[in-house]
Amino acid sequence: MSESKKLTSKDITMLGIRSSFLQASFNYERMQSCGFTWAMLPALKKIYGDDKEKLSAAMVDNLGFINTHPNLVGFLMGLMISLEEGGANRETVNGLKLALFGPIAGIGDAIFWFTILPIVAGISCSFATQGSVLGPIVFFLTYFIIWILRIVWTKLGYRLGTKSIDMITSNSDILANAATILGITVIGALIASYVSITLLPVITVDGGIEVAVQEQFFDNIFPNILPMAVTLLCFWLLKKKQVSPVILIVGIILISIGCSWIGLM
Amino acid sequence: MEITFIQGILLSIMCIIVGLDFFLEAFFLFRPLMVSTFTGLILGDVVLGLKVGALIELAFAGLTPAGGTQPPNPVMAGLMGTVLAYTTGCAPEQALALCLPFSFLGQYIILFYYSAFSFFMGKADECAAKADIKGIAHINYLTMAIVSITYGVLAFLCAYVAQAPMQAFVEWLPEIVTHGLEIAGGILPAVGFGMLLRVMMKVKYIPYFIAGFLMACFIDMPNLLPVALLGLIFALMDFFGAKQRKAEVEAAIEEAGVNGGENNVGI
Repeated sequence: MSESKKLTSKDITMLGIRSSFLQASFNYERMQSCGFTWAMLPALKKIYGDDKEKLSAAMVDNLGFINTHPNLVGFLMGLMISLEEGGANRETVNGLKLALFGPIAGIGDAIFWFTILPIVAGISCSFATQGSVLGPIVFFLTYFIIWILRIVWTKLGYRLGTKSIDMITSNSDILANAATILGITVIGALIASYVSITLLPVITVDGGIEVAVQEQFFDNIFPNILPMAVTLLCFWLLKKKQVSPVILIVGIILISIGCSWIGLM
Repeated sequence: MEITFIQGILLSIMCIIVGLDFFLEAFFLFRPLMVSTFTGLILGDVVLGLKVGALIELAFAGLTPAGGTQPPNPVMAGLMGTVLAYTTGCAPEQALALCLPFSFLGQYIILFYYSAFSFFMGKADECAAKADIKGIAHINYLTMAIVSITYGVLAFLCAYVAQAPMQAFVEWLPEIVTHGLEIAGGILPAVGFGMLLRVMMKVKYIPYFIAGFLMACFIDMPNLLPVALLGLIFALMDFFGAKQRKAEVEAAIEEAGVNGGENNVGI
């Protein structure tokens, strides 16, 4: 079925190498999205060729919020590019990307930051403290191997995607809906874990009892209700009021500094 | 010992490279152990760099950018720890304490860029709408150039030109602004999610959205895998349900004949 094989093994290797640019324009609004798109672009260009409309649609989806682990993102990129190549519909590609990046980030942080780094740092620092150059050499080599593995993850993701693409395209309309459900479920959780608002005031009620607004009120009754409210407000402003995201970003930065000034947050 | 002009320039070039590496998190040359070793090499005292680097590395092992938070800057810590140990002749332990203001300065600057780079996203959206590949590349080149040059200038200023004034500057920085940027960092992702919802959200998806949110609010999870699995369950339920309805409709149509009357099964 996948008659339209346009990417070569070399393209996938390049994609793995380009995954190094994931954070090239990291920002708080959409985190790694622009670097992710940039890394994917040569492959996307090869798939869509001169079909500007399809390329544009793919770029718009790629620019959606993403924050995953740099060392493992190749897996996601390989998988996504195989779906693009195989002609899966946009909702399926997007839903899967949204569902996967969070767990990959969590697994990657646990493996690379909380397990490998302390071990490698511990071993190489024990050399370095004695004045041995072996320390930084061991450190560098370990992380160089980890970097090389990016290519392996990318190939794994791509292979997994090309194997399942026939199943995906033959059920495309049903899958698009299912993938969006998956994506939306994860977005609900992402809002709770990425958007954070902590109120500082402590209110003194009758009898001199002090109530910390955040810990004793919001966290007890409904944690993360404020992040959800702010997200829905942004959603409403963007969708119904056609407010530009730039205005929202400026507004949020100014309000944040204001809240810092009056001690609200 | 004094740092020469040439050493200042070399340190600056080194920080351009490792600073960009920290932004990208690609080769891990940005960890204090590596940065201090390079600094020691440039200053002609590798052993000093190794000793200071090992100490700072262990102190910074828990300060990671896991989950998108910006830790005290490992590049500035590694650089200035070694530079200060070299120029003042203090013990590595003291160098660790003395390098912290510079490390915070680096952290504040990156925090500022994380907020400021949000403004490039509007331009990126325009490029995507026009399928402008070069435009996306230019944005990424520009942001990387800004980050690299900042590290170069900062390293040169801190290590060679104006150590004491830079330290005073960090102490002068109003906490209102630095804390304000931290707050903004917590809220800005809401815009990104708002943009996603604008595209994806339909009324029929609201229950799933709420389910994912509630799970993350009230269940303590080490990462989002459980939510993704729950989402997968919802998706499979919907998938099989839709498949069955499709099969039932097809069967009903077949049974009733293509023009038959009673095809109101399912749906």
